[in-house]
Amino acid sequence: MPPSSEGSDLADRELYSIPSSASWFRWDDIDDTERRCLPEFFDGSSTSRNPRVYKEYRDFIISKYREDPTKCITFTEIRKSMIGDVGYLHKVFLFLEKWGLINFGVKVPKISVEDAGPKVVVEEGPPADVQVVPACIPQRKLVGMASSVGGENGFKLPPLTSYSDVFGDWLPKRGLVCGICGDQSAAGGYESLQDGVMVCSKCSKNNSQADGRTTEDSNHQVDDDAKAEGSANNVISAWTDAETLLLLEAVLKHGDDWALIAQHVRTKSKLDCIARLIQLPFGEHILGSINGTCANSNLITQATDVKKQSLINEPPQELIKTDLHIQTDEKDLVEEPMAERPLKRRCLPSFVHVADSLIKQVAGFSTVAGAQIATAAADAAIVALCSENISARKHFSINKYGENDLLYTNNDHNSGLKIEDQDMELHKQTVVSEKSLSATAFQVRAAIATALGAVAARAKLLADQEEREIELLMASIIEVQLRKIQCKIKHFEELESMMEHEYTLLQKVKESTLEEWVTVLQQAFQAGIPRWSDDELPKPFTTM
Amino acid sequence: MRSFHPGASKAPMKFRMPTAENFVPIRLDLDIDGQRFKDAFTWNPNDPDSEVNNFAKRTVKDLKLPPTFVTQIAQSIQTQLAEFHSYEGQEMHIKEKIVPLKIDLRVNNTVIRDQFLWDISNLESDPEEFARTFCKDLDIGDPEVGPAIAVSIREQLYEIATQSISSARETRVGKKGRRGADIVANSKAGNTVDLGKLFGSKGSVIRKRKEWYLYEPIVDILSNEEVGALDAREELNARLKRKLDEKEESFQTRYSHG
Repeated sequence: MPPSSEGSDLADRELYSIPSSASWFRWDDIDDTERRCLPEFFDGSSTSRNPRVYKEYRDFIISKYREDPTKCITFTEIRKSMIGDVGYLHKVFLFLEKWGLINFGVKVPKISVEDAGPKVVVEEGPPADVQVVPACIPQRKLVGMASSVGGENGFKLPPLTSYSDVFGDWLPKRGLVCGICGDQSAAGGYESLQDGVMVCSKCSKNNSQADGRTTEDSNHQVDDDAKAEGSANNVISAWTDAETLLLLEAVLKHGDDWALIAQHVRTKSKLDCIARLIQLPFGEHILGSINGTCANSNLITQATDVKKQSLINEPPQELIKTDLHIQTDEKDLVEEPMAERPLKRRCLPSFVHVADSLIKQVAGFSTVAGAQIATAAADAAIVALCSENISARKHFSINKYGENDLLYTNNDHNSGLKIEDQDMELHKQTVVSEKSLSATAFQVRAAIATALGAVAARAKLLADQEEREIELLMASIIEVQLRKIQCKIKHFEELESMMEHEYTLLQKVKESTLEEWVTVLQQAFQAGIPRWSDDELPKPFTTM
Repeated sequence: MRSFHPGASKAPMKFRMPTAENFVPIRLDLDIDGQRFKDAFTWNPNDPDSEVNNFAKRTVKDLKLPPTFVTQIAQSIQTQLAEFHSYEGQEMHIKEKIVPLKIDLRVNNTVIRDQFLWDISNLESDPEEFARTFCKDLDIGDPEVGPAIAVSIREQLYEIATQSISSARETRVGKKGRRGADIVANSKAGNTVDLGKLFGSKGSVIRKRKEWYLYEPIVDILSNEEVGALDAREELNARLKRKLDEKEESFQTRYSHG
């Protein structure tokens, strides 16, 4: 906790604010200022007051205060913790407070009288009226947060984009604003153009020139120039309701073709149109969902318009290539891992941020479960969703084309939907505009379904694996038991064989003994020893 | 005549209150014709005697007491001042003693209990400032609490100071005229802080955490009923005590002079 006086390695040290006038303060030393202001501790006038004692008091008070620097520490709080004359203690306390080593910049709180016992000092909100005195600007190297309290007062949040910023032009209160140059008080009065856009007299001249052009793409450049001239001298021209409506119509009709859009709106240049569309809520989403249509419309019309100023810049040649693949109905393995990415890519730019975390989860699941599983899940989810809801089908088929644009790759990886594709091409232009908003819902649902599918697949795999493991363990247990029995049997067999062996030995011994007896008898006979009586036969032989 | 000891330890000084301002604590507790008047305040002994009378008159007028109180009040104050003055010629040998002072008083609805250390050799001590800080830190609303605390401190210091005049010790034994009876017992027992141990090189002046609660002030706010009950009890005690004191006084006056 003690701040480093060298200012080094502040990693785990805390920083406290003290005024620069108190920069003499050191934890491990007593400064002359202290000696001067509190002489009774340093003049040896009593045994109860010496430098060590003073330092203990000081360090304790400061440490206690710094336990909670936002709270104003009172003398009464800390005097109970120190031994010594309260008068001198109070002097030390006042000294520290005066020099800002404690209670620096902390507002003294008001507490109720009803608190019994030890008082809890409660601060009522941030010290709003604390001002950092200029003379006390902390320059001390250990002070990291310069005038932390005062600083907070000066901190300003950036203004949030408010409704008025976005929809400001829609407010009906504003006076007439020239559609082109934004002048609110044009001298020459206003004229209204064909589309209901008010323009001041100056701009109307420019406009009349522009009106005469053809709608050829090649002439758009000139158009743009004229408009650029008109608007270059002025601030950004305000978008009126009518213009915005035109813009939206044009976007839905022409999709990505900014030249056409700009021409449709007439009073705004290409860049202005793009900028305006981005500004609108769901503007980007419309862009995203439109890209597919306009790509296909281009393919259908075989336009060679190379000038594309869309945000998602796709070279048209690629699109033509992909068009060829539509018919082939290939479903490579290469596509499958890519298919997962369309789910991610498609969703991220066009979703409102609310659904972002969901998509991230889906992405997470897919990476965990493996690409193939995830694509299969996605497909299954989409198929299920489509079979459930016809409009969703249309939406997804449209989006499939949108994905293609993003990926430069073959598009069709869902044979199930292909059936619809051909028909949908013709109808999508009309359909897209209705589906742009429901697309979000369907995409969300699809994402959820995909996530569920991926998780289910994974769970199944795990379950299978567990079962196999269980079987393995069971088998090993059984094997062990059998082995045990085998050993036992062997053991008994050995014992048996041993016993038999012994038995045969015994028999042999018996025979040999018998033979010996016979031999002895024979010899006895030959030697003429009188015969024994039969009843004198040795007992063992009779019993055997 | 009172005798005095020559100062033995630190440089002896003339008797005075060991505070920055040499003010005397005065306590009044009169009961005339069933009417009770209690008060405690600080008096500057250097004020002329006429001030006492003025004060008495003003008090009676402000509190609408019967006029008989005027003389009684004045007399009481004079007596106490005289006592103070009588010590003034003496020498007191104040050793450096850090004594614990106790606050245990009730002012209207507020009950204060506290304990802290006081260096009686610190002649710059200020009970009034202590009382002010006390009330400010604990946010005590009743303005009468502060002065009551200051007076209580003064009384205790007065007690200790007079005791350091050893010649007075014999005569003062058993006198319980003042409120700080238990304080007398304390300082007599020598309940002072062992300076050598604490302030020497080995000790620490930071109290052990488990002892902090002992030296923490306790402030209680009583309800009106509790106040009423306590008041009644105190009156009873006071009456009995006064009777006893009167007896003692007469006994002492008989034998103290001579």
